[in-house]
Amino acid sequence: MKNFFIILSILATSGGFSQKVELGNVTVQELEEKKHPKDTSAVAAILFKKGTTQFVYNSTKGFSTETKVDIKIKIYKKQGYDWANHAVRYYLEGSSKESLYFSNAVTYNLVNNKIVKTKLKSDGEFDEKVSRFWGQKKIMMPDVKEGSIIEFSYKLISPNYGSFKDWDFQTSIPINYCEYTTYIPEYFKYNTHIKGHLTPKVELDQRENNYQGTYQEMVNSAGGFRSERGTYNIKFQESIAKYTISNVPALKDENFVNNISNYMVILQHELSSVRMPERPFENYSTDWETICSKIYQSDSFGSELSKTGYFENEINQLLNGVTVKDQKIGLIFSYVKEYMNWNGYHDYYCHDGVKEAFKKKSGNVAEINLMLVAMLRYAGIEANPILVSSRSNGIALYPSRNAFDYVIAGIEIENDVILLDATDKNSVPDVLPHRAINWNGRLIRKNGSSTSVNLSPKFISKEATNIMANLTSEGIVEGKIFIQKNAHDAFNFRSKYGKVNTDNYLEILEKRYGNAEISEYKVDNKTDLSKPVIETFSFKTNNEIEKVADKLYISPLFFFVMSENPFKQEVRDYPIDFSYPDQDKFLSIINIPDGYVVESIPTSANLIFGDDIAGFKYIINTNGKQIQVTSVLDIKTNIISPEDYADFKMFFNEIVKKQTEKIVLKKA
Amino acid sequence: MKLTKMMLLINFLLAAPVFPQDLTTTVLGIPAELKENANSVIRNQEVSVEIKSISQMVIKTLKTITVFNEYGIRNIDAVEYFDQTTTIKNIEAIVYDSLGKELKKIKRKDFSDYSVAGDASDVSDTRVLKLNYTPTEYPFTIVYQSEVQTSNTAFIPTWYPIDDYFESVQRSVFKISYPSHLGFKYKEMDFGDKKIVKHETTNSLQYSIENLVAEKHEEYAPSKPVHVLFGLDKFMLEGVEGSAKSWKEFGLWMNEKLLKESTELPLETQNRIKTLVANETDPLKKAAIVYRFVQNKTRYVSIQLGIGGWKPMPAKNVDRLGYGDCKALSNYTKALLDVVGVPSYYTVIYGGERRDILEDFVSMQGNHAVLSLPYKNKMIFLECTSQTQAFGFEGDFTDDRVALLIKPEGGELVRTNKYIDKDNAQVTNGKIVIHEDGSMKMEAQISYTGIQYDTMTRFELLPLKETKDHYKERWSYVNNLTIDDLRFVNDKENVKFNETIKISVPEFVKKTGADKMLLLNVLNQNYKTPQRYRNRKKQFEIDKGYYDEDIIDIELPQSEKVIAKPENVNLETKFGTYSTEILFLEANKIQYKRKLLIKKGLYSVEEYEEFRKFREQIAKNDNSKLVLQSNK
Repeated sequence: MKNFFIILSILATSGGFSQKVELGNVTVQELEEKKHPKDTSAVAAILFKKGTTQFVYNSTKGFSTETKVDIKIKIYKKQGYDWANHAVRYYLEGSSKESLYFSNAVTYNLVNNKIVKTKLKSDGEFDEKVSRFWGQKKIMMPDVKEGSIIEFSYKLISPNYGSFKDWDFQTSIPINYCEYTTYIPEYFKYNTHIKGHLTPKVELDQRENNYQGTYQEMVNSAGGFRSERGTYNIKFQESIAKYTISNVPALKDENFVNNISNYMVILQHELSSVRMPERPFENYSTDWETICSKIYQSDSFGSELSKTGYFENEINQLLNGVTVKDQKIGLIFSYVKEYMNWNGYHDYYCHDGVKEAFKKKSGNVAEINLMLVAMLRYAGIEANPILVSSRSNGIALYPSRNAFDYVIAGIEIENDVILLDATDKNSVPDVLPHRAINWNGRLIRKNGSSTSVNLSPKFISKEATNIMANLTSEGIVEGKIFIQKNAHDAFNFRSKYGKVNTDNYLEILEKRYGNAEISEYKVDNKTDLSKPVIETFSFKTNNEIEKVADKLYISPLFFFVMSENPFKQEVRDYPIDFSYPDQDKFLSIINIPDGYVVESIPTSANLIFGDDIAGFKYIINTNGKQIQVTSVLDIKTNIISPEDYADFKMFFNEIVKKQTEKIVLKKA
Repeated sequence: MKLTKMMLLINFLLAAPVFPQDLTTTVLGIPAELKENANSVIRNQEVSVEIKSISQMVIKTLKTITVFNEYGIRNIDAVEYFDQTTTIKNIEAIVYDSLGKELKKIKRKDFSDYSVAGDASDVSDTRVLKLNYTPTEYPFTIVYQSEVQTSNTAFIPTWYPIDDYFESVQRSVFKISYPSHLGFKYKEMDFGDKKIVKHETTNSLQYSIENLVAEKHEEYAPSKPVHVLFGLDKFMLEGVEGSAKSWKEFGLWMNEKLLKESTELPLETQNRIKTLVANETDPLKKAAIVYRFVQNKTRYVSIQLGIGGWKPMPAKNVDRLGYGDCKALSNYTKALLDVVGVPSYYTVIYGGERRDILEDFVSMQGNHAVLSLPYKNKMIFLECTSQTQAFGFEGDFTDDRVALLIKPEGGELVRTNKYIDKDNAQVTNGKIVIHEDGSMKMEAQISYTGIQYDTMTRFELLPLKETKDHYKERWSYVNNLTIDDLRFVNDKENVKFNETIKISVPEFVKKTGADKMLLLNVLNQNYKTPQRYRNRKKQFEIDKGYYDEDIIDIELPQSEKVIAKPENVNLETKFGTYSTEILFLEANKIQYKRKLLIKKGLYSVEEYEEFRKFREQIAKNDNSKLVLQSNK
């Protein structure tokens, strides 16, 4: 990419915005501040974080991005001292090697009403090789106390303009002001996306800029080749985008949140095209269709799908004589799950390739699931890959290659798609591992066309528990329990306890059931994935009946009672994510002991929380000798919005109240 | 968080030798009793440590392990650490299937190579090579071999033939050879009734053990694995020659080589600290001022580079930078105390789980440093890495264990202070008012001392919202509880944490048919009971013991009368005592009194069920209720 453009030098003046936010302007007032004015619990705050990214050109190395960041942090409390240490990573390997420099690192303190500066020296800066690929520089700021302000800058030079670094506008402490400006030469086009629940202000501008420098080249002239020096001056247009936002609150995680970083305010850049002078236009990404088709055309994706030679013998043998389509799907899916072993890596591209993975019997997500698609296609089934963003990658909101990190297999049938993921041994069709259930995926057909596919489970996972209990007048409960788990409930059981030996599992169970003694335990279909998991056992306990004077008080669901509300927070910022719709049903039949009569039983109840969201039914009857209770909780959707939180918490309160109500038996 | 490089090196078990390949790689040869409860079986482990000279040690490891399921993967332990003084000469592994057929060869370049350092507050030059293998079938067998060479002879690998639960051992051999002039020594620990074969010559020692069955983890069981420690009287540490004939001599060496010359302070700081203590004559009060000064000036970071893993950063650097690790901050505090004429000693200790510096085995031990302060006939210990801890309070991080004081005249062992039984108290005085609609309001003062103080002080540091969330978990057995107010006073002078709390609960009184139930113990239910075991194998230990006392006044509305109350309870056992009492003060005023003492102690396996029943009775009684009926 040497000297692609040489013209006479014309000085270009850089425009730019007025800048008041600068390092080195620490005031007494700032140092005196004891608490963050908007978040009094903040242990520290970023007073400002300001950055720019520009492109620099070098006649031998080509283009690099140069990102400069200035940060000013106020430390309020000792628990905020971690903010006085900073680490920034940089890439180490080969031609993608990055350079990182810290500078201007100063701590400010107020001593006898005077501002005292302490500079960071080299003994507070460390350079570490994290792995073969990554280095990391760390700074530990000197002389930090409660009330200190610290400032530093760093510069990261990266040749990897294809993977532009994300800019975070939010973190776990408040940010008072955050500003980021990009200067992008006309040769590069990026798509930008702002994620999160706040939006920075964007100002766009243009300016003319130039690169100048010297180069050396071999010139063929009279007397042979000789080296000749030249100068170049390249004039070009540059797009300026300035993003600013003030008063960004601290981001705090909550229970039942899918992935908190989905809600963090972040700016992402994705390279969409490169148009160098005298070079062909290169298009990278524009919309979902284009991205999917690009991925499909890649050697690590599409070509891997078309390879069949490595498995033909095995599949021919497996499907020998089988003609029914569903049977073929089942056989191939089970075969891949059994034969292949997931190495823990996410990707939609193959790493070693399907052939090598097949040989090793292990591979990443792409190798396993693309192999599955290829085998299904080989057997004449219209299977296609579905690109997925796993939960750890966040929700795929904007079209970009990084939006995905995972791939599964899908079979289109009338009005529906069957979803298959062979990376988990306990997965069955349409029961994906938790990590892959994340909003929508993108199915890519053979012709490269693609379509959005909902990954949320379409049916309710059910768990039913039957209890037959006999009470004695001494306060002992004895009986039998039968539990049936379907779909995701069965998947969870198999994943968590499938490999635990029975003795150890019983100890876990006994602990969970208030130290009841469990015997005659049996589990059916632990490994037969086509059927529900069924547990049956006998139990005996003296911990479930309260005896006061001549009365017995009993909770009708015994140790299965929901004794506390899982939602304790007063307010909630982000949706509750249940992963899958679920039904939890209990049927309890209780025989009362001789010599006792029923004094009272709880009343039946029926609660509905929106037609399609949740419901709770509680029905109780007695004939004087026996009490029968049915309790059903239906969660019909997997997402509850934060606006509904207060009511949803109330709904659960009512459930807890109802389930903890007691039966009263009295001596006859 | 306070651990140093020492921890890392001591805990890397068994690195080591190459023996003839006559081993079984098929699973057929595993005796049935070794498969029971086992996620993995060490088929054969041979570690050979060859001490060639004071500055050269070669550790060869051969380990054949069969893994039955995914839980057994963690026991492969195919990992070696390295830095400037330690080199990995060879590392490789071969994987076999259950029939002994080779599945895969794993070469050095396929091992992951990474730094042990963590976040921005943690710097280290130690790196690790670790096997990263995705099993394709179970069971499988791995034969792992490594050879590590080091110029450090201060830390010789310990022989731990078994180092985890749910793992059994078919055969484990440890061989060590040494030149006679370095003062080789060893110490056998927790052999119990295990059959261990020992073979000793003039310059070598060998241990072997066969057929150790897998053990299950059991609650309250003290961990006592078989192990043998090895050491040298003369050793090398990062190029510094050391001597460990006696603790006295070892202390002299530490003083001379690691601590001396690192206590110099700038004049300005010297004057400042002198001014701060100018009005005090009592050395303890002076020390408290110095300790507060350090707490306000410094923060904890971990910097472990080369000899810096053992030698404190000079006090003048800490003074300038305002941070350091446990060594640096202890040494800095000592330097300041020196200036004001208060004697103190740099002290090496194990932080965290209780572990002693061994009196009869002189060697580099410990993973943490504190400062000891002799005062009258006592010794006070200062934790210098905490910015908030009360002066002289140790908490459970360093209490009740043997530590090494480095005095000018040499090393000396001393036991740190302990907090047991009634030292660890929680005393609650509360008042509950019940309203006619069944709701309640409660106000209570709770004070905590000893280890219970230690547990509470962390709430002082959390944002109020997180503390409230924690309290809701603590009292999760009360549905719909609201914390209306919460205030703490951390009385550091008396090492007492005082808390005032106001809560309210709607529908606190539960209607049950014609009756109403009222929970007596709202704030202090001991509802978790120990696990029941069908066949427990191990003795059990109550580590510290504690004492709780609750006095709660309950005021009922005029409209309610009590129709039944739980009996008073008085349980006395060897594990502790529990009593509750319900007094009727006036027609509508009731007092609930509860006392619980759990005693520190080591008990036999036969006594476990008795202990569990005791705790179960407590849990049941703690949930007992008054039965009310309406007057109307």
